[in-house]
Amino acid sequence: MAQTMAEKLLTRRNLSGKAARAGDFVEAKIDGAMCHYHAGEPMHDMAIEAGFKDGLPRVWDPERIYVLLDHHQPALSQKLADENAVIRREVERLGIQCFHDAEPGIAHQMMLDYGLVRPGELVVGNDSHTIGYGAVNAGSTGITRADMFYVLLYGELWFQVPESIKVVLEGRQPNYPIAKDIILTLAGQHGDDIAQSMSVEYSGSLVSQLSIDSRMCLSTHGVEIGAKFAMFESDETTRQFVKSRTDKPYEPLTPDPGAQYAKEITLNVDDMPFVVAKPHQFGNVVPVDEARGTRINQAQIGSCANGRFEDIEIAARMLEGRKVAKGVRFIISPASQQVYLQCLKAGLIEKLVEAGVQVVTPGCGVCQPRVGFLSDGEVCITATTRNFKGRKGSLNAEIYLAGPLTVTAAAVAGEIVNPKEVFRGL
Amino acid sequence: MGFDLSQVIRGRVWKFGDSIETDAINPYYRYPTMEELKQHTMEAYRPEFPQQVKPGDIMVAGRNFGCGSSRPGLVLREVGVAAIVAESVARLFLRNSISRAIPIFVAPGVTAIVQDGETLEVDYPKGVVRNPASGKAVALRKFPPMIEKIFECGGLPEFARERYLKEAASASRPKA
Repeated sequence: MAQTMAEKLLTRRNLSGKAARAGDFVEAKIDGAMCHYHAGEPMHDMAIEAGFKDGLPRVWDPERIYVLLDHHQPALSQKLADENAVIRREVERLGIQCFHDAEPGIAHQMMLDYGLVRPGELVVGNDSHTIGYGAVNAGSTGITRADMFYVLLYGELWFQVPESIKVVLEGRQPNYPIAKDIILTLAGQHGDDIAQSMSVEYSGSLVSQLSIDSRMCLSTHGVEIGAKFAMFESDETTRQFVKSRTDKPYEPLTPDPGAQYAKEITLNVDDMPFVVAKPHQFGNVVPVDEARGTRINQAQIGSCANGRFEDIEIAARMLEGRKVAKGVRFIISPASQQVYLQCLKAGLIEKLVEAGVQVVTPGCGVCQPRVGFLSDGEVCITATTRNFKGRKGSLNAEIYLAGPLTVTAAAVAGEIVNPKEVFRGL
Repeated sequence: MGFDLSQVIRGRVWKFGDSIETDAINPYYRYPTMEELKQHTMEAYRPEFPQQVKPGDIMVAGRNFGCGSSRPGLVLREVGVAAIVAESVARLFLRNSISRAIPIFVAPGVTAIVQDGETLEVDYPKGVVRNPASGKAVALRKFPPMIEKIFECGGLPEFARERYLKEAASASRPKA
């Protein structure tokens, strides 16, 4: 039977050994588990609540569990410092080998920076944006902290084999990133649950032109359209990326010809306008011109969706010889220390600071939020993951989502504007 | 705390729209303790909810309930919500509810048969959600046996503990 990538992966990992078909419930063997700040107190408390009086008695494989302290690094309060101390104790007690402790950054970015995830693997993480590793052909997905508890003990987990949705991206990549505009356009046109519990397979003529950074934005945002997996096939770009980070062998996934898709959507990016998601939902998307003239107080670039080199590079490139508008707080947070270093070496950070940008520590802070709260009546335009009401503090603040270029244009103009008006010759 | 799927749940309905996000259900980054969360859950949509919700009430929502970050809805159980019934549920919220044995049901069409403040009856054994006043009913989706078992155990950590004890017992049993 012809299989999609998701069916193939869950067949390979199915504990029963049977072929997995969309709709089946299976128990699957996990290749890797990313666990962030829940690794400490929350897991320990859950263990005690479930009747393990000394906490989690063991982990299934200390080499396949990756603990990264992304949300709370550096600790912003003593409470968080105390929680981090519990994690350190638990990591040592359980013998977990891969622990990124004294390093700020977003776990998902570090998983890729350090080659901890490879094509064709089934990887889970107790964070919704774990789905992002589909950029390098992994079947990765967010699970809950109670699911993670089970995975830590057994290295297995139940899944419903997802139906698949084929997203065909056609057209040419311009000389600036458009991944955010693509995913927002899809959510706007088809709804923020178009891929509910499904596996997205990206394909089409644009894909080979997309950088890993852009693919990570598209896969990470799979969860904003409801998806379980959001995968690209492995190509030369993937192979080069992975090769420079890990020499462990891997077996990529490709869909079979004739595999069954529940839906197929095509988007041609050549005639796609710049877009924004208005408050307070990801799918509340309009062309940027319809939000034109909205005054802003804050602009941001960062998070697991847009904190990568190409997102920061376009901001630095556009800010050369320009200044951030008076009174606008433009906050940029690289996704990881590795991304930060790459930006430093390329001279981007100097340009940003000269233009009036606040560069803040890598991590989840600008999106979670821990950094840059908003007051009543304030407006923020941001290339981060979500724009829910209250996401950045006040329930009476407004958050617009956009790509890094549109955010930079707004930061310069002091209001939402079409980037083509600010940056001639794009 | 196990949840007995064989019981019929009746309660007063709080009705919500589409794509209600976990930031509204569980805004833990602003209200880090359960006591604070109880005072603020769902206020982004219904400011009166935290004060007026009563034990035994039922939440009815449109499509994509619980979208956004992976956060359990334990606070809803804490304020007394007896069941959540939605047109569709975001994948991670569904997993969160199953893994913590919080009664959640997917019943396409439910928003058309009940209004805010009316009574709703959730009959899992019969696979139906009913408005007793109007008699209108829609089907709810049954879970496979594996997931029913997780509800029965009281959640996935408890399910894990059961498996662990079983395996420990069979390992210590002398071989025949």
